[in-house]
Formats: sequence, structure tokens, C-alpha cells
Amino acid sequence: MAGAAALRRSARRAIRPDEYTFSRTLQHAERLLSSQASPDRGGVLGSELGLYPPERIRNFSIIAHVDHGKSTLADRLLELTGTIKKGHGQPQYLDKLQVERERGITVKAQTATMFYRHAHDESDAPNYLINLIDTPGHVDFSYEVSRSLAACQGALLVVDAAQGVQAQTIANFYLAFESNLSIIPVINKIDQPTADPDNVKVQLKRLFDIDPSEALLTSAKTGQGLSQVLPAVIERIPSPPGKCDSPVRMLLLDSYYDEYKGVICHVAIVDGALHKGDKIASAATGRTYEVLDVGIMHPELTPTGVLYTGQVGYVISGMRSTKEARIGDTLHQAKSTVEPLPGFKPARHMVFSGLYPADGSDFDTLSHAIEKLTCNDASVSVTKETSTALGMGFRCGFLGLLHMDVFHQRLEQEHGAQVISTIPTVPYIFEYGDGSKVQVENPATLASNPGQRIAACWEPTVIATIIIPSEYVGPVIMLCSERRGEQREYTFIDAQRALLKYQLPLREIIVDFYNELKSITSGYATFDYEDSEYQQSDLVKMDILLNGQPVDAMATIVHNQKAQRVGRELVEKLKKFIERQMFEITIQAAIGSKVIARETLSAMRKNVLAKCYGGDITRKKKLLEKQKEGKKRMKRVGSVDIPQEAFHEILKVSNSK
Amino acid sequence: MLRSAFPLVSHLPPRKPPPVRPARPPPVRPYASSAARPSPPPASAYVHLPFCRKRCLYCDFPIVALGSSSSSPVNGEGNDPRIADYVRLLLREVAATRPVSNDGVPLETVFFGGGTPSLVPPRLVAAVLDALRGKFGLSASPEVSIEMDPGTFDAAKLRELVGLGVNRVSLGVQAFQEDLLRACGRAHGLREVHEAVGIVTACEGLQNWSMDLISSLPHQTEEMWEESLRCTVDARPTHVSVYDLQIEQGTKFGQLYTPGVHPLPSETDSANFYKIASKRLSEAGYNHYEISSYCKTGYECKHNVTYWQNRSFYAFGLGSASYINGVRFSRPRRMKEYADWVQKLEIGAWSHEPDSAGMKDMAMDVVMLSLRTAWGLDLRSFSKSFGKSLTVSLCNTFRPFVESGLVIVMDMERRALQPSDFKLDLQYEGEIESKVAFIRLSDPDGFLLSNELISLAFGVIAP
Repeated sequence: MAGAAALRRSARRAIRPDEYTFSRTLQHAERLLSSQASPDRGGVLGSELGLYPPERIRNFSIIAHVDHGKSTLADRLLELTGTIKKGHGQPQYLDKLQVERERGITVKAQTATMFYRHAHDESDAPNYLINLIDTPGHVDFSYEVSRSLAACQGALLVVDAAQGVQAQTIANFYLAFESNLSIIPVINKIDQPTADPDNVKVQLKRLFDIDPSEALLTSAKTGQGLSQVLPAVIERIPSPPGKCDSPVRMLLLDSYYDEYKGVICHVAIVDGALHKGDKIASAATGRTYEVLDVGIMHPELTPTGVLYTGQVGYVISGMRSTKEARIGDTLHQAKSTVEPLPGFKPARHMVFSGLYPADGSDFDTLSHAIEKLTCNDASVSVTKETSTALGMGFRCGFLGLLHMDVFHQRLEQEHGAQVISTIPTVPYIFEYGDGSKVQVENPATLASNPGQRIAACWEPTVIATIIIPSEYVGPVIMLCSERRGEQREYTFIDAQRALLKYQLPLREIIVDFYNELKSITSGYATFDYEDSEYQQSDLVKMDILLNGQPVDAMATIVHNQKAQRVGRELVEKLKKFIERQMFEITIQAAIGSKVIARETLSAMRKNVLAKCYGGDITRKKKLLEKQKEGKKRMKRVGSVDIPQEAFHEILKVSNSK
Repeated sequence: MLRSAFPLVSHLPPRKPPPVRPARPPPVRPYASSAARPSPPPASAYVHLPFCRKRCLYCDFPIVALGSSSSSPVNGEGNDPRIADYVRLLLREVAATRPVSNDGVPLETVFFGGGTPSLVPPRLVAAVLDALRGKFGLSASPEVSIEMDPGTFDAAKLRELVGLGVNRVSLGVQAFQEDLLRACGRAHGLREVHEAVGIVTACEGLQNWSMDLISSLPHQTEEMWEESLRCTVDARPTHVSVYDLQIEQGTKFGQLYTPGVHPLPSETDSANFYKIASKRLSEAGYNHYEISSYCKTGYECKHNVTYWQNRSFYAFGLGSASYINGVRFSRPRRMKEYADWVQKLEIGAWSHEPDSAGMKDMAMDVVMLSLRTAWGLDLRSFSKSFGKSLTVSLCNTFRPFVESGLVIVMDMERRALQPSDFKLDLQYEGEIESKVAFIRLSDPDGFLLSNELISLAFGVIAP
């Protein structure tokens, strides 16, 4: 993962806030227009929807490694069915967030309903209702993915014809496979000069036991092969199961918050039918709601007044916050007891970081921004915390690294908040001599010299999948063992490429593992991971002290064997980024009372303006005032001023080598 | 550190007149008598004479480079019409300026700065002095200073100036190394330096003169600096100004050099140069009475002391800054705009903005200026003007630096107090003035970090 700070910097360059606000305003305007136009269409469509019983419905998603062409393929299918006009609207239609478009990733699930005429009927009228459920592709969101997939009966597995199977392809394949989906392999980008579809077929056969004859060959760019896609969806993917005559039961796929309409839920109707005015209840919270509006995404909110069994659309029911709309929850007819749909899990937070206001943004601004953003992303946990170095802030829990980066980026882009984040940490478990256990989400809260003996510590691990050209196997194995990884698998997926699986402590990959991996493999490695169990580990808390005073926001938990090296690096980095002051500063890394690394920053020698120009003191005064302002922006621990960059910079160390 | 600073503090401000002077100068009061009260009318005037042969490579002053066309070494520029035109403009400004008081407070100091004022023909200097005398009056024995550059004057010209009433010369030598002078883009060489020193020291009726040096020049070594200081001491000026080179944006040096990076001396070397100057000049009997100023006892530059005591002063000429009725004003730095401004002044279309600086600004000025001097900040006056609580906060902020020796606290008799005494005093906030009366920056370490320390104080005054 790229460092959060670097991401934020590039994000800032990419777009100006006013541009963003403008495009958001436009989106709102479009939404309002489409809903105003809807009463007529809604009535027609409402009765139309009744024409599509489950056997005329197909629900599918597209899964792919990043940049293998998922979004472009989705655009083409939406155009092919007339859902969006060709050449109108923005490319990557379903990626609505700026962060999604910039990074080519999907963070929030989206759905789109298409009406399609399949050839086996003589009439010209559409005879199939096809729902594309766009899911996040990244492991951080694997729970969300699994919920989205649960609403599908099939998936297009898109693979780049030149790049072949990549780490994320594998992870996504297994998620789809475990959900019992019919998988249609699509080898995309066959127009590229380096395309080698036959090799990809070999990989698919070897890795997933997919019959080479099943693969569709497409180029979403030139349009080649696209006409086979939807017929394959209809012919190879089963229609949704579900009982039309049962009380309504639906799966909540995702939700987002709209300033004007409140919470909008994307749902898949499993059983029964949902009408405007119905009373529904949440299986997770027990709260009941009235259906104020219901419809399909065609491709924007299109009220229909009804959704039938097997159909996918949206519901607005007066929920105040997306916290009430938990992904994976079952919504059902109120006052009837139903079996909740399987698989509901509350969000599990794997990466924690402190977020504090930086330059010019105060606590209230940050607090407001976080509140707004969590309205739209209920999977972040937020608790207030106070740091002596950084003041009031928040400890936030994230599903994973990408989730954390995306949250930072959205805080800055969508809410204009400037943040300092502390070194990300994972939830460790410490057990004391008396058998009591604590989960530590903020290293600062762990006592440096605990009164009690620590009997044992555990840390979360992941199973990482890495795919690389075979010449890089050596360095990658070295990297993984430096990161305390244990090899679980080492195979070749074709003549040139190897697949490695390692169990790695999550802590070892949360900062710069991916960057390092990319750099030692000239960018060829792909990497994905899934959560695995906790393992016992020799962990220690390391404090950073400036002139003897611990800086709470810089405390970390490290593996005992690595403490020395990490301490050295942190201390050197700080020496570089803390400016000389009027006194000598000692920078130390310590475990308990034992100092393991130490640097001294000598006192500043000179900062004097010797000349006072002909009585013109205003210039000199301005200079000194500027200097004063500079001091104000620093964070102070004891008497030492720490520039904000120091906090950003130490994020980049903290783990490596 | 404390001890080394001791002898210096007793020299400022001058309490007895220099022996060579016929009349007693007005007693120099600590700044705060004027702070936050209606300030007494100005008794000082700065006159900017912006002409130079060429611009030195480090200079970002408002100057007018005359160019090399007039090649005559000493008086070649005298007939340049640009100088006469400018002096006419200057005289119009003086004429259009209303004296602050009607009770005729005469000028105690006049300072001709530049530029290179010595390029201006004495008759034009005389015209300016006459105008000032006519407008404001001159006291019985005013200090009249003029900046002069080697190679721009001869004995006759200097005699003529002295005859007009000029009694203090500030000689812009800058360095005693041919290479360094050339590297700075100075319009003179080492030979002119020695000639100029000879002319000045031989001039009858001129006892008070200053040697100006610049430290931390590109390629300057410790040996060169020692040499310059030795030559300075040998020339026996009554006053020495040591300016630390500032690299300004928009200058040639600004393009060429980065502070602390070769060929400029490192921060450590540069600090060392400052310390060497302080040591050598103190050994030679000079008092380090301000960050960049040294003098024999009684020879402080009275004009500059006006600035540091935050007293008001007139200013005339291109880009010059005045301080009148609590208002600081900088004139336009471009000739055309300055001329337009003078015209506005004449027709009464311009006046000092009536709202004077706020208390915070005033307090910042007082702290910034007084901490430049060995005299330091008078805590009692400060407390009277700006309140006890601000004074206590200021002391609290400085306390760690009293302990580390960058700041010195003194009692009424200007005896340095132990840091422990200071601590004790602070505990009885109400009684802060009982013992601690002054704080100053130590020499050289405190002076060297004056920007840091003063900006800390700013943070207390205007958080």
C-alpha cells in the first residue's frame, strides 16, 4: 500500500475542492431531475417489473484484478442495453466516488438494472431483466464483496489477456466459488499487441479448473466479442431462487447517505415483493421502517413503487444514518418472523490509527468531517482519544489498509479536513500474569513499565498471495522472511510465473510491504491477502522520547527482534525532520526503561538578523512574526517543537526490514 | 557565559558624555518612557541618498545605480543630473512635511544613509541640512552622520562635509581582502579602503567614525575574518558595525548562494565569526552595545539608539521609513512612485493614517528592539505599559533560557542575578519587580539566537 500521506498529496494535486463540489452539485441536480421526471415512468415501470418473474431475471457481478477492465466492460454492457447512452456521461459509470475513479478501485457497491432482449424470442420487446451488482474488489472489503456476491447467481471473471491471472483474480475467484456462483471467464483486452489469450486459458485451467472452451474473448475497447457476454449471462447463470408468495425478505447490499433523501439502501429481494408503504424491519437491529420510496437503479434512482422476487434495487425508508443499514443485514416484512439470510457479520477492524487535526484545521472541523464521512461509511469505528503531543483526536478502526487510505483520502477530498495520522497499528492481545487479557488498539495505552508481568502476546496474521515472474522468487522469499512470514505454498501457475502463499503478521504488511514488493519486482508482483488467525509473538512496546519525555503519538508495538532496527530507523528519521532548536535534543527509542537507540540533535548555533535597515523595522518584524507562526504550527512535547512532517515521515519507517 | 557578559552591560546607555564632545548629549532614556503613551516629537531624521556606482551583489536596498559612465574616481558623479533632481524632490518632501510639534523640538541626530551618500556633492548635502535646520531646527550639538564608501571621496570633499556640520562618518569597508571585495561586487578595491581610512583618520574636526564590516561572505575564511578585525582595530575607529550577511531574495547572491552551503560558511562557522568579532573587539576595548554594533565608551550611534529605544523619528527620501506619532510608514521604493507620493504630500492629499499601532504591536516593537541591545528590556517600564501578567508570561517563557545562559536577568543596579533568584521571583508574581529589573540576551550566544528568542516572546504577546 502506498503511504497514506503520499496518497493524500497526490490526491490534492489531482483535484481542486471547488471542482469537486461542483461535480457533486451536478450529481445532486441529476438525481433530483430524474426523480422529478419519475412519477409517469415509475408507474409504467412498476407494472413492467411485474413482467419479469425470477426466471426472466439474472443477477451477476464482475470480478477482476485492478485495471483488468472491469469498469470499462460494465460501461459497455450498460451502453449495449441502452441503460446509458454511448458517449454520454463519464467513463467508469459505476465508480461514483472521486477516490474510486482516481485509483481505479471500487469501494462502494453499486447496482444497475438493464432491460435486455434475448434472441430466442420473436418479439422486439426486452424479455430479460439483468442486474449488474458492482462489488469492491479489494480484500479489505471482502465481507462486503461476499454480501454482494450472495445476491448474485453468477460472475464474470475478467482477466487481462496480456497480464493473465493476478493475485486479486485468485482471491476473487475463490470468493465467487465459495458462494456457489456460475463463473463465466472473460479474457479481456485481446486487442493488445501482447495479448496471449491461450496462455490465460492455460492458467485458468491450471488454477481454477476452468474449461478453456468456456472463456469469452473480448475487447471492451474495440467492442470485439461483447455481443456474446449477455447471452452467456442468460444461458449460463441460473435465475435467482426465491419464493414469490412468501412474505418479503431482502438482503441489504450497501447503503449510502444522501443529504436530501437520507439513507438509500441497495437491496436484493430474495422472497416476496416489496411495495411502497410497506412496513419492514431489520433483523439485526429489530427496528421497523416504512418504505417511503422503492425502485431500481436505471442507472440512477428510478422509482417503481415495487420490487419483485429476485429483483435488485433501492429502498428509502427514513433511516437516519448508515449505521442503521448494516451490510449483510436482512430486511423483512415487519410483524412476521423470518429466518435471517445467512452470513451477517458486524465489521471487524484490523487496522487502527489515531487521526488528529493538522495545520489550520481544528478539532471541531475534523470531528464534523469524520461524522459526515462515517454517515456514508459505517464500517469505520471511531472513538475519541487525547494525545499529549497532538491534542484531541480520534482512534479509528478500519477493515484494512486500503480502507484506511481511502478514508483519509475521502476526509481530505470530500470534507476538506487536514489530518495527521499516527503509525497504523493492529489489534494486539496482551495477557498478564494474572490471566487477564487486553486488546491494544493504541500502543500508547499500554503501560511502558507494566506493574504486572506480561505472560503472552498475540498478533493477527494474514495469508498473503503473491504472484510474480519466476526470476523474482528469490528476493520475494527474502522479503517475506524478513517480515517474519512463513511459507505456505510455492507453485508455478504457468511457465513464467510463480505463486507464493505466506502467512505473515498483519503488522508487517501494514505500512510499506506492497511498495517494497513492487520495487524489488520492478512492479510485476501482485499481492493480495486474507485474514488469518492470531499467533503468539514476542512483542514489546517501544517508546520514542524527546529529551526524556515520551511522545505518546509515536509509541509503537514491535517484535522484540526487530525493536533495535526499527528504533534506530525511527530515531534517525526524527533527527532529520526535527529542526535544531535553542537547546540540544536527545532523541531516544526505549523499551521500558532500556534505551535501544539514541541520537543527539545539537543546539542551533545562530539565527540572527544583524542589520536593522535604516530604522525600517517592519520587515524584520514580519520575519519574526512568520517565525512565530511557524512555531505555532508545530506540535510541542515538553519544550521540543515537532514539525508535522515528522509525524508523516515516521509512518514510512515503523516496520520495514 | 554570565560572567563574560558582565562588563558589557555596564556600558549602555551612556550616562556621561564622551570626553571629546563639547556639549552634553541628551540623556538616553530607556525606551519605555515613550511606549504606549503619546510619544515625544521626533528629534531624529533619516535622509536616504540612494545613489551608488553599481549595485553590490548582496544588496536589496532601494538604490539608484548610476552606472560606470562617470569614470572619474572621486567627484565624477557630482554633476549627474539624476542626483540634483532627486535632491530637489527630497527638499520638496522636507518642505511639505509638517513638524510634529510647534514648540520647536530641534533635531538631535541626522543620518544620511544610502545608497552611497558620499557620491552626493557636498553642496547638495548642505542644501538638505539647511532645509532640515530651517524646518525643524538643529540642536546645539547634533550628531550628523553620513555613510561613505571608499573611492568616492577625497580629503577635500570630507573636509567640506565636516565644514557643513557632519561629525560622524560611517565607512563602508566591508572586508580587507581584495578577492572578497570583488566577490561582493563592491565598486572599490583594497587600495581605496586604505586610502579612505587614511583620509578619515587624518581629517581634522572628525573624531567619531565607524568602520562597517560584513561577516559570512562567500569564500570568507576564519583567517580572513581575523585579518579584517585586526585591520579594523588598527585603524582605531570609535565605532564598528559588524553585519552578518543576509542572503536576500531577488539579489544576485540570492540566485547564487544558499545560506550555510559552500561557498558561504556553514552555520557553525558563521556563528563562530560572530563570536570571534565579539571577542576581538571586546579585547580591543569596544563595547558590544547592540547585536551588530560596537563602540568605544560614549560613542554609541545616537541616531541608531533612537531606533532601539522605540522613539519617533522623521525620514525623508526614497524607500525610507519614518515613525511619527506611533505610526510607521515606508515611502515608495521606486523613484516614480516616490515622486508621485511627494506631490500628494504637497497638495495635502496624503497624511499618516490616524490609527496608531495597537498595544500588541507596540509591545512587540519594544521587545524586539530592546532585546537587540545590551541594555535589554526594562521590565518595570514594560510592566507599567503593558501589564504585569504579560510581563510575567514573558519571564516564564524565558526562564529555561535564563537557566541555559542565553538570557540574563539583572537587578536595578544591573547586577546579573542567578537563575535561582529569577525562579524565586517568579513564584511571587505580584512582586516580580522587586528584584528583577532587566532582562537581556547574553553576548554572544543569546544575541546569536535573537530571532528565536524574540519570536518566542512574540508568541507570548500575540499568541
